[in-house]
Amino acid sequence: MATAEIELDAGASAHPSTLARFYREHERSIIGGGTLLAVLLIWEGVARSGLVDPLFLSSPIQIVKAGIDLFEGGEIWTHIQVSGSEFLLGYALSVAIGIPLGLATGWYRRLSYLLGPFIDALNAVPRLTLMPIIVIWFGIGIWSKAVVAFLGAVLPILIATNSGVRTSEARYLQVARSFSASELKIFTSIILPGTVPFIFTGLKYGIGRALLGVVVGELYAATAGLGYMIGEAGDTFQTSVVFFGVLIFTATGLVSVGVLDALERRFETWRPKAGAAS
Amino acid sequence: MSTQTVIGEGHVERPPPLVRWYAEHRRAVFGTLVAILFLLFWEGLSRGWWADALRPLIGHAADPLLVPPIFISSPSRIAAEAWRMFVVTREIWSDLRFSAMEYALGLGAAIAVGMPLGLASGWYRRLSYAVGPFLAGFNATPQVALLPLIIIWVGFGLAAKILIIFALAVLPIAISAQSAVRTTDARLLKVAHSFGAGEWHLFRTIILPSAVPFLLAGLRLAVGRAMIGIVVGEIFGSAVGVGAMINRSGSRFETDKVFVGVLVIAAAGMLLAELVHQIERRVEAWRPSV
Repeated sequence: MATAEIELDAGASAHPSTLARFYREHERSIIGGGTLLAVLLIWEGVARSGLVDPLFLSSPIQIVKAGIDLFEGGEIWTHIQVSGSEFLLGYALSVAIGIPLGLATGWYRRLSYLLGPFIDALNAVPRLTLMPIIVIWFGIGIWSKAVVAFLGAVLPILIATNSGVRTSEARYLQVARSFSASELKIFTSIILPGTVPFIFTGLKYGIGRALLGVVVGELYAATAGLGYMIGEAGDTFQTSVVFFGVLIFTATGLVSVGVLDALERRFETWRPKAGAAS
Repeated sequence: MSTQTVIGEGHVERPPPLVRWYAEHRRAVFGTLVAILFLLFWEGLSRGWWADALRPLIGHAADPLLVPPIFISSPSRIAAEAWRMFVVTREIWSDLRFSAMEYALGLGAAIAVGMPLGLASGWYRRLSYAVGPFLAGFNATPQVALLPLIIIWVGFGLAAKILIIFALAVLPIAISAQSAVRTTDARLLKVAHSFGAGEWHLFRTIILPSAVPFLLAGLRLAVGRAMIGIVVGEIFGSAVGVGAMINRSGSRFETDKVFVGVLVIAAAGMLLAELVHQIERRVEAWRPSV
């Protein structure tokens, strides 16, 4: 950082023009957007020049066209619906189980002794390797993917929540206890607010894990879904369709994390900011 | 801690050694006990112990407690299968060798690309602006979805496996390297600057040493993520490899073999994570502890 500042100062005179000021204020977006645009242009150019087989590379315009075709064909809605329900089912389940269980294991020491070995063991196993067994158990329908998504997302959520409870400020607890606050009161007014940032960290991490589970599940064994669509398109060398499917997943991940960020800000507005008052 | 009060009725000073030993290792004792009970329960499910025991009481309602081993296998069957695959037929070793090779190459490539990229984008602000959108997008994508593309590009062979492991492992490494540079103590940098240290000197003596814990933490994450690549990369058109073995056995309903494969991958993952952890401790030994 320090070096960049020095560089800038050397160039800028005492009265920077408005254009330079605008650039300096939006430097991040300008450089980021510019690079993105440049890459897309080069990609399109290379694809059009015929240097590389379009079968391998596709091109930004072809990908957009493929996307429009997919939506006009209407078939993609089924895939979105299937993948969406798998993702939502698995993620909702992992939230519904991960947060309460994380709170409980953080709060009750004995419970954490009881469940700790299972949580640690399950955490050590890459859960996606269980895919074949889960397919044996739940078939190739929606539920096997929902379970894989659940298994992927539940542990980060549970573990983050658990460590949130355990790192509660000990001084607050002591103060509350010396004023003989009830356990319930302590839990709702100290533990829970202190745990919220941890829960959100777990939730955000869980999104990626759940999406990964859905994709792997659908690549492995499925009859519908975006992962299935990508796999099929790959087999038939429809590179543009593959790219478009991947982009849908990217967008889903970005939007979900964005929503969680917004929610987190909502929850955190009451918290006094750390650091200097100004 | 609170056991002190429970066992300390009367003589707080010296609880008997056995009790003391229990109090010190309670977590481990409890954990082992729970694990053993779980294994027994599992074994009993597939052998019908529980169904047999309860049938006189609740009749056919006990039948669901007998689960065919094709669904859940059992600890003894898994152990026997592992013995067979490792010692008797030795069939798993070629799979292990192949998977280990793709893993090492993929992770090695991820380190070779991710670390310099992360360090550079942490150091040069404009570079980080330029690669920011790509990192964010790539991070939000389940990288496994790239598998069909990778197969179109390089085919089904070893290269596809290496690339998918690379794709899974490179981001944790790059992102932790980037934040490592960003969180370097600014005061140290200022001091070095004012004594006229060059960029390279700064990098070597301040940035790099303070980045090491982050780099290793990122590596520990990547080690786990790359394990996923072994299984996923071998879903399609692979004849050898632990992941391929798992997939093949799953589609033949050979549940015992699937579990052996899962356990092998889990064990390898834990071993590698522990290895990184040991390196972390070794490297951090010089640092004065706070």
